[in-house]
Amino acid sequence: MATDTEQDELMGLLIAVAREDRQAFQRLYEKISGRMFGLCLKLASQRELAEEAVQDAFVQIWHHAGEYHDERGAPLSWMLTIARYRTLDLMRSRKAKKTAGDSQLEYVEDGREGPLDVSLRSAGVAELTGCLEELSESQRDSILLTYYRGFSHDELSETLSSPIGTVKSWVRRGLIALKRCLER
Amino acid sequence: MKKTSERIEALAAEYVLGSLRGPARRRFERWMMESVRVRQEVWFWEQKLGHLGERIEEATPPASVWSEIERRLWPQSMGARPAPAANDGVGHWLWPGWSLLATAAALVLAVVLLQQPAPQDDQRLSGAIVQAELSDPLWLVSESAFEKQLKLRPVAATAAEQGKDYELWIVPDDGQPVSLGVMPVGDAYEVILDDETRKLLSSSRTLAISLEPAGGSPTGAPTGPILHVAKLYEL
Repeated sequence: MATDTEQDELMGLLIAVAREDRQAFQRLYEKISGRMFGLCLKLASQRELAEEAVQDAFVQIWHHAGEYHDERGAPLSWMLTIARYRTLDLMRSRKAKKTAGDSQLEYVEDGREGPLDVSLRSAGVAELTGCLEELSESQRDSILLTYYRGFSHDELSETLSSPIGTVKSWVRRGLIALKRCLER
Repeated sequence: MKKTSERIEALAAEYVLGSLRGPARRRFERWMMESVRVRQEVWFWEQKLGHLGERIEEATPPASVWSEIERRLWPQSMGARPAPAANDGVGHWLWPGWSLLATAAALVLAVVLLQQPAPQDDQRLSGAIVQAELSDPLWLVSESAFEKQLKLRPVAATAAEQGKDYELWIVPDDGQPVSLGVMPVGDAYEVILDDETRKLLSSSRTLAISLEPAGGSPTGAPTGPILHVAKLYEL
């Protein structure tokens, strides 16, 4: 997790980028591109797509740095959110072009340990101040799989071997419960 | 659909998480534009869920990622790159809406190389006209050398404002843009390319869409704002 000092530094860089400071932009890239690429790669499981998402995200950051404000979260999570949305967009526009019958599970069957590895599960628990622990296991896994792996309801239903209506309600109710806990 | 606070709460969470998709996602993006209350709800989740992203294992992107970002943002300063030399030559055409586009940045442009399910032999250029924060592309573009035609299929494109039309242009490497006509929204737009326009397009691979008075530009050159610029890719 980024420390406060680091967030302050990123904030300074973002302000400089809003003034079209290219050097600051490059420093920003050096500082966060590793984390951003890691996130996109995790989500997409495709290097080429993740690379494109990082490029698009930085182009957007260059143009929109001035629109950042603290209600949108810490600078790092704001930038990672941009990259995450971009990755999801790219994943969908490509998937839409695929023919039906393609494996929905390609992301799972990539030889890794499973749809959601243990380190991510525990990271999620720590970051959301323990609130994820209050959810049922199915709710928590559905939310984390959607967040980290970009799963659709269909993919969740297949991965978790449960009807689509059920996984939809795990996600929905899980999120509401999460919000109640975070607001406490 | 009514914006009750329960709905806003539920949809914002699913929007940020990513499980809200397709038309529902686009509808919700309109809500976001209309209401600060909706945006604040989205920001709440971006803030909270954003922390999840910070714990992921880092991975160093290849150097080409940075050079491509530089190339896209500052094509002029990249020196002798093989990119179209739009700044060479005397009296080159100045992009009328470019500064508007670059600074206002209401629309962030990007081009997606779309994977074709079964690449057809004759299809050569392909791409999409996309808008940031929309999950679907506005139009999908494909050029078929065999049929000598360019086809734009609307996906998320919406009709131009009242009394206006979208006009499609080829932006050549050099010289004035060439109109490919006014595009109806709702149907696929197909235009037959003659040899000359085909040559221009296969060289610059750049299309633009401008907003023009109904019926198209009265002057033969773009008069309204340039809404989109898209680069096509060879498949």
